[in-house]
Amino acid sequence: MAADTLITLAEEPNLHAPPSGAANLWAAFRENRGAVAGAAVAVAIMLLAVFAPLVAPHSPFEQFRDAIKAPPVWAGGSWRFPFGTDGAGRDILSRLIYGARVSLFIGFAVMAVSFGVGVVLGLTAAFNNLADVLITRLMDVIMAVPSLVLAILAVAILGPSLTNTIIAITIVFLPRFVRLVRASALGELDKDYVMAARVAGVRGLRLAFGTVLPNCLAPLIVQAALGVSDAILEAAALGFLGLGAQPPTPEWGSMLADARQFIRSDPWIVTLPGLAILVTVVAINLAGDGLRDALDPKMRRS
Amino acid sequence: MIRFLVKRVLLTVPTFVALIFLVFVAIRLVPGDPVEVRVGEHGIAPERLALLRHELGLDLPVWRQFLGYVWQLAHGDFGRSLSTSNPVLGEFLTLFPATLELAACAMFIAVLVGIPLGVFAAVKRGSVFDQGLMGLSVTGYSMPIFWWGLLLIMLLAERWHLVPVGGRLDLIRFDYDAPTGFMLIDSLLSDEPGAFLDALRHLALPAFVLGTIPLAVIARMTRSSMLEVLSEDYVRTARAKGLSPFRVVGLHALRNALIPVVTVIGLQTGTLLAGAVLTETIFSWPGVGKWLIDAISRRDYPSLQGGIILISALVILVNLGVDLLYGAINPRILHGR
Repeated sequence: MAADTLITLAEEPNLHAPPSGAANLWAAFRENRGAVAGAAVAVAIMLLAVFAPLVAPHSPFEQFRDAIKAPPVWAGGSWRFPFGTDGAGRDILSRLIYGARVSLFIGFAVMAVSFGVGVVLGLTAAFNNLADVLITRLMDVIMAVPSLVLAILAVAILGPSLTNTIIAITIVFLPRFVRLVRASALGELDKDYVMAARVAGVRGLRLAFGTVLPNCLAPLIVQAALGVSDAILEAAALGFLGLGAQPPTPEWGSMLADARQFIRSDPWIVTLPGLAILVTVVAINLAGDGLRDALDPKMRRS
Repeated sequence: MIRFLVKRVLLTVPTFVALIFLVFVAIRLVPGDPVEVRVGEHGIAPERLALLRHELGLDLPVWRQFLGYVWQLAHGDFGRSLSTSNPVLGEFLTLFPATLELAACAMFIAVLVGIPLGVFAAVKRGSVFDQGLMGLSVTGYSMPIFWWGLLLIMLLAERWHLVPVGGRLDLIRFDYDAPTGFMLIDSLLSDEPGAFLDALRHLALPAFVLGTIPLAVIARMTRSSMLEVLSEDYVRTARAKGLSPFRVVGLHALRNALIPVVTVIGLQTGTLLAGAVLTETIFSWPGVGKWLIDAISRRDYPSLQGGIILISALVILVNLGVDLLYGAINPRILHGR
């Protein structure tokens, strides 16, 4: 309580109250047409993923023996399978829609876990010197191993599965959050309001999470948004190499790997899953870039 | 200067030790009996198991095993591959030139195309070209390159027959010694006419695919760094002196704008090596990336272990080099410490 009073007293009386943070942010975000378009597409894909059972025309696993490798509508196919069927006679459109579930789930799960663990490790490093040396060194090593190679090592040890894909990519992404939290927390520790909180008797976990952390959040949110798209790409790459989600899970990367044998005869089976990955990743990246520019006015110049 | 060098070099030592420790621990977490995993046999008799445990040093305390492992590595002994029983280091060094050739050409394309595009976009800021390029750049760095590679194979190789589908050379038409392991150099050294062109035709598509993400990142980075520099006072002074726009942009601005770009190029090394795993798999390129993936499917743990340590050591060394170079071209770093 005392800390709050101190901070309030330190502030200048504000005659022209600026608009609230969220309204400000939205106004800045809206200026960027690419970011708005990206956010719209990303939200649409999320809705498709959530309502997949309602939207998808077929089950992603059902094999239509009478329609193996049926062509899509634009290549002379029927509306029964708008995007055609794959080598096992499964509806590609339905598999793509359910695939959005898998990819987005991986993306958000990786972000949530590496965000949480990253905040704890980063704050620990910022507040404790011994822990700092250990954590920083460990993160340096993780950063030194090329991301996909590290994920491959993790999957080779844990065995290929959806859960292990998430664990592997989380390990790969952890350093980004830890370093970001540590650096911004160290930057905040010298500031007057932290000193004021300390004088007022705030310490330990409350100082770390209640006082310092809220002021480090902006870059973290941007990193999290952009990290979702990286995680989706990484998961698709693992799936493509046969080290991610296992068949018959409708995962975009493994769908692409299955389709490789039809590269000569049926190009659309190869084209569509990759296009789904690209559109999703571009949409999230555009929205994430817009968010970064909106949160950080200094970046808006470029 | 010397203090900075020594400090920076010494800082990599604990990173190396931690790297070896991490891989050492990781390989011990592999499910299954450690002897079976490492010898590659199943259902070993108990007497033989005890003997093998002793031979492999698995009866020693863990810290002695780790020191022993570091000692081995220090002597260039990375163990033997379970599938070919050749030394891991030898296999790695045989295949590495192929990866290096691919990665170097990819980076060459990315720098050669990316920097001019970025400069041009910055000079023509806000134009259709600038907006189009930035749109392409987002697409480029969001690209699933394994799909991009397949798509281009489908169009350029299967449909239009412009380039071969995979491999490094048409082995039916050409057969010669490969003293350096770099196909472009070896083909020039051989007296076979047309071999160099054939090697180049094999290399072009994989290198372009692998270079796509670095190209997008470098173009973007050059543009924003150039925009920053173009608003500086010394650029305005150069303009006011009446220098031609070409001299202002090309000499005064570009030299300073490239400083952050050099770092980005260095940081892309890890991305390139990770991308090489995918590119080599798609294009049947016989490099270390494909070898690593094959090692996993064969459960060849010594190769996996050695390969990961060697690749990561390379990335650490390149990053060290970039940091030192950065210190050399940006005096503020040296005097700041």
